[in-house]
Amino acid sequence: MDFSGLKGIVKHITQITDTNEEFECAEGKSILGAMVELGRKGITSGCHGGGCGVCKVQILKGDVKTENMSRAHVSADEAASGVVLACKAYPRSAVVLTVTGLLHKNIVRGANAKSSK
Amino acid sequence: MGVMRIGHVSLRVMDMDAAINHYANVIGLIHTGTGPNGEQLFKGWDEWDKYSIILTQSDRAGMNHVAYKVEHDADLDQLSEKLQEYGVKTTMHKAGHLPDCGRALHFTMPSGHEMYLFAEKDAVGKAVGVRNPAPWPDGLKGTGAHWLDHVALACEVNPDKGINTVAANHDLFRDALGFYLSEQVLVGPDADIRVVAFMFRTTTPHDIAFLPNEKSGLHHISFFLDSWHDILKAGDVMAKNNVKIDIPPTRHGITRGETIYFFDPSGNRNETFAGLGYLAQPDMPVITWDEDQTWRGIFYHTGEAHAPFTEVIT
Ligand code: FES
Ligand SMILES: [Fe+2]
Repeated sequence: MDFSGLKGIVKHITQITDTNEEFECAEGKSILGAMVELGRKGITSGCHGGGCGVCKVQILKGDVKTENMSRAHVSADEAASGVVLACKAYPRSAVVLTVTGLLHKNIVRGANAKSSK
Repeated sequence: MGVMRIGHVSLRVMDMDAAINHYANVIGLIHTGTGPNGEQLFKGWDEWDKYSIILTQSDRAGMNHVAYKVEHDADLDQLSEKLQEYGVKTTMHKAGHLPDCGRALHFTMPSGHEMYLFAEKDAVGKAVGVRNPAPWPDGLKGTGAHWLDHVALACEVNPDKGINTVAANHDLFRDALGFYLSEQVLVGPDADIRVVAFMFRTTTPHDIAFLPNEKSGLHHISFFLDSWHDILKAGDVMAKNNVKIDIPPTRHGITRGETIYFFDPSGNRNETFAGLGYLAQPDMPVITWDEDQTWRGIFYHTGEAHAPFTEVIT
């Protein structure tokens, strides 16, 4: 059961295009934090501190607020084009994103391994 | 006697206030000063030297350097020679190069990690003093960690390119710095490729660990606690403070350590661990974990893979 509506908590739908997944992210929660809390997968979960870079995603639609993200993983150019670390991105509207971090690499690697067999 | 023990780790953090809160109130270290460049210095209550953690403001996470303490100032000259004989470039820095320290010998490991050796650091004493001391001080915060115990470094290993900096670091630490191997993981068709090395200079199973990764970085820094119950309580402290736990309390096969892993606010992995495992000695037979038993070695109870533990580094 989800009673958060009673408390007037604002939630934003987050959509992951790669896996066609969707979950609700309460305002004030990071995309990755909300996903992990719901036991969902789709974005790789790592340090939740913006330091390790495994949760890197590209925001395709929607508005997010961000906090400190490691420059080793998100360059200034990338940041300007909507690349964020999902553990440090807080939705302010419905969001559509695509995964560019470790998981994507794994998916791509898995696909390559399969196709080369 | 050469290298005695780990001296300190210099960490990069992206939010200094959040980092200070974490290391002071969650880990429970004592703030002991500010360096000339605004670095924040911390020590565990059971440590006597002025600091074991340096926090530096940065736009990324990770480790600036790790430093080990040698017994005598003259050891620095001897070790510098040994490193150079081994083909490693060294630089001897004047006193004060590291905050509140004497001369500091710098070199870069084959894995790319920066390391210093030093013989002198200002001492401020244990929180309980040395005259008829109480077993623990009042007013400890968070986990109440005793001391910085070891670091584990992610070292680039890329068999396709013939790169194995775990093995290269191991050889350098053995041959030039006098470290001993306690435990290892051997892989490959002939089980002769060393991809994990736990090494010591004290009498504990490891003062440094080298772990394989696609690229080099910081795997974790670890603080010592007394008992299994302290590890459970550390879990409570993390939950209370909304700290992201990587691995809830469990036991390692390697070193037999009782452990909990979590992340600091910039994503640097921390560990508090208890149990000194066993008495490590130079003549102790080396313990080997087979490739198919690696996860049993890492998480003894489940023996199951937990990918973020090996893949997530800063
Ligand atoms: S999980 Fe490490 S940067 Fe987001
Ligand atoms: Fe450790």
